[in-house]
Amino acid sequence: MTDITSSRTAETFAPALGGDRATDALERALQDAPADKVEAFITSRSGDFTRFAGARVHQSQAIDEVQIMVRAEVDGRVSRAASSSFGALGAAVDRACAAAAQQAKDGAAPAPLRTDLPAPGTDTVASAFDSSLLWGDDTAAWSVADHARLADRAMNEANALGGQAAGMFGRAVTEVAFHDREAHLSRYAYASEAQGSLTVRIDDGSSHWKDMSRFSNRLGAEAAVTRTLAEASRTRGRAKLEPGEYDVVLGPLAAGELLDFFGAFGFTGSALSAGFGAIANRGGELVASSLVSVHDDATSDVGLPFPFDFQGTSKRDVPMIAHGIAQSAVTDRETAYALKSESTGNFHIAREEAPHAIPMNVILRGSEPTEEELISGIENGVYLQRFWYTRTVDPVRTTITGVTRDACFMIKNGKIAYPVESMRFTMSVLDALARVDGVGRDYLSQPLMNVFNGSASAPAIRVRGFSLGTAPIAKG
Amino acid sequence: MSLDTVTAASVGLDPHAWGDLASDEAAAGMLQIALAAVDVPGVDYADVRLIEAEELRLYSTLEAGVDERVENNLGIGVRVLYRGSWGFASLPIWDTADVSIAASRALSNARAADSVSNAYRTELPPLPAASGRYLTEVAIDPFGVSSSARYDLLAEILAAASKPAEIVMAQAGLNAKRQHRHFANTEGSVQHQHFIESGAMALVNAAGNGTMQRRSFPNSFHGNTAQAGWEYVEGLRMVEEADRIGREAVELLTAPLAPAGYADFIIGPAQMALQIHESTGHALELDRILGDEANYAGTSFITKDAAGSMKYGSPAVNITSDPTVPGTRGSFGFDDEGVPASRKPLISEGIIQNFLSTRDSAARIGAESTGAARSDGWGYLPVCFSTNVFLEPGSGSTEELEDRLGNGFYIDDNRSWSIDERRHNFQFGTEVAYEVTNGKRGRLLRGFSYGGTTPEFWQSVEAVAGPEEFKAFGMPCGKGEPKQWGFLGHGASPTLVRNVRIGVDK
Repeated sequence: MTDITSSRTAETFAPALGGDRATDALERALQDAPADKVEAFITSRSGDFTRFAGARVHQSQAIDEVQIMVRAEVDGRVSRAASSSFGALGAAVDRACAAAAQQAKDGAAPAPLRTDLPAPGTDTVASAFDSSLLWGDDTAAWSVADHARLADRAMNEANALGGQAAGMFGRAVTEVAFHDREAHLSRYAYASEAQGSLTVRIDDGSSHWKDMSRFSNRLGAEAAVTRTLAEASRTRGRAKLEPGEYDVVLGPLAAGELLDFFGAFGFTGSALSAGFGAIANRGGELVASSLVSVHDDATSDVGLPFPFDFQGTSKRDVPMIAHGIAQSAVTDRETAYALKSESTGNFHIAREEAPHAIPMNVILRGSEPTEEELISGIENGVYLQRFWYTRTVDPVRTTITGVTRDACFMIKNGKIAYPVESMRFTMSVLDALARVDGVGRDYLSQPLMNVFNGSASAPAIRVRGFSLGTAPIAKG
Repeated sequence: MSLDTVTAASVGLDPHAWGDLASDEAAAGMLQIALAAVDVPGVDYADVRLIEAEELRLYSTLEAGVDERVENNLGIGVRVLYRGSWGFASLPIWDTADVSIAASRALSNARAADSVSNAYRTELPPLPAASGRYLTEVAIDPFGVSSSARYDLLAEILAAASKPAEIVMAQAGLNAKRQHRHFANTEGSVQHQHFIESGAMALVNAAGNGTMQRRSFPNSFHGNTAQAGWEYVEGLRMVEEADRIGREAVELLTAPLAPAGYADFIIGPAQMALQIHESTGHALELDRILGDEANYAGTSFITKDAAGSMKYGSPAVNITSDPTVPGTRGSFGFDDEGVPASRKPLISEGIIQNFLSTRDSAARIGAESTGAARSDGWGYLPVCFSTNVFLEPGSGSTEELEDRLGNGFYIDDNRSWSIDERRHNFQFGTEVAYEVTNGKRGRLLRGFSYGGTTPEFWQSVEAVAGPEEFKAFGMPCGKGEPKQWGFLGHGASPTLVRNVRIGVDK
């Protein structure tokens, strides 16, 4: 065991590892590793998550997770070994090196080549990162007791309205350390994270709110509870919505959900090098309204900024769609090499899937109008707060399906008129973005599914012609 | 206890003798330390899970060589019921002191939950102590297979899948996982479970004719994984099947589009497994029915008084939860709050009989848990997940079922899925559809989709093929905040449905 355990106590909200200790441990463990090349990263995430529903906090959780992953390369063959324990770091190094050597001995196919990391001191992207984006003392002070008090308020006020509230308030400390022996590069960063989400149901009415940030004060959680309670009340007595094409305002959560699919639609280096998807086939073309700019940008003060990925590459601002034009794909070191470009710092490794580059901090850039101003531009249309269970139908046509849910309203003469029922939709995301004629101001951020430190952030958008419902056909 | 006392090498060829938590006796000692740490006034109940897991994954793609990784983790999860309020904490174990730290945090979190005014106080009916051991039976230890055998198989799968020039992306994968899961609670239960899983996958994308078409085997959700040894992988005949899906993906590029309207069709086992998962398993999870998941995973159209009365499907629909069936990803001896596994009818002749429940959710409707509390390792709180939930077979072969169908389609292998938060309105698309004319399978069609509501769908089931056609699938599932993964088993024989809406994603 190393002394790295010494900072762990029963009640702390602070980085548990620390940069010097984490990178020192990695450097010591890798220095004599029997491999041609060797690197490793550590991820640590410690969080408090207060889930509540009905009349109780039913899941009051403190979750700590650590992963240390070593990558060894022998004669062009690569193997990784991971552990949750610092005590097993040496064993992980041995295991990764032995497996890579065994691959070479067995004649396994070599791993793809990668771009080099910048020489120490030459990474201008790294030096430009604003580290004040990462840590909020407000988040550190936002205690489990505060979460419970807020949950208590939401549940009591929902009950008083004849309804029920369910949600989660939480915070976490994330640390990532990286060391590459051959590049003589060590990196470390830590960040706070605050999350809130709430669903209020009253009769057939409901409303939902969700947001995440490095800073708990930015969530505006108290105001969000008030607003969500009021919206749930207003959605009681929903009218049936006829299938058809409507002018819509997508609330920030609905708009943000569209961003989850940019990886599947080909805004990645692997799709580009394989010759399919939006960038390969429509790169440089106008694929969306000129009001629409979608970036992968972990350097921005929106969502969950972070300075580097698990390959030690600095993250940067990647304009996937810039003013409507399909422009760039995200890459890791392997796909960057294949494309003869630089890695954008989007290496992703997760359970039950092969490592690959994906968008991880996706932002639909905001503009000036408020949500009310966007609504005021619709004479006869629909406001959609949120989508649910959206999935890719056709990646070539960028078609997804899902259902609308929670606070959805008919818009009449530029005003919210009356609540409407949920409805299934199946539509092309890029076609919808091509019909955007208004982009709002205020962001909400939500997690990207199965992506470490991933977020999708968007303001409300106005779309002219959004197809809702499945057209009826007479039953046989 | 030293975490370095037991190694596989020191014990021999027992596939379960690996890692730091192979010893039941040593693990039991650590469990008792955690329970002792929460033995304080106000604690009504506590349980502890001490788990070590190790997963081996290998992938190979056209553009990359072998991507190999082995991941090991070891930690503890402690759950405390303090004055009727739950608290939970988890930690990776670096030192034996972490056991007490996790227990202390769990108690602290339970006290925070207790601070809520007018809170519902959980009263957990006592459960008789149940202690025991459960082991996956394995013929060939997947971790003992030579690395060259794995690399060779990956290369052969990839080569077979990517033979046609139109294949632009191909991926082959192999996986194995082993776990020591130890459990103890304040009611005296002490349980030790040792699992081993093996799996494989092949996936191709063909491009041309203005479209891209995907084919997968043995399932479109990360392949298929069984609770078994390497013998399971060998039985999949991956190379032959990879060759088939490569050719089918190319054939789909020029295949006619499937029509829209209403149709009769047979759904193959892989797609039925997903149908069961989404519209039966989730819909019958009692925590959803009671609103616990309203903010994340969703609720259910089924109500808490439905058991014994609600008509859910046709008389041909019999759906069972049975984790005692060995070999599936949903097989176990005890669930993750210590309830012994048992066979439960969920739907009998179309009528709902039971829910999937945990001790907490069952207590709230005055019922006994059906043993469906499951967690993704030590890090996460046990919540209600499906177990091994399957559609009971009927009778006859697939050919006989096609003959009964007459004219329609045979479809399988999911390509797209979506269902509303009440598990009521759904829309699914499949990778393949074959025309069936006068009981004979004909040409391949692309872009098949179907949709409707859950009760309409299950009431449209006319017949299910026999047990000889049954196939089981291991599937991942996400639930909870923070999201955790559940790994479940579902299965079915080909199933004939009539007059269902198709062509819904056009």
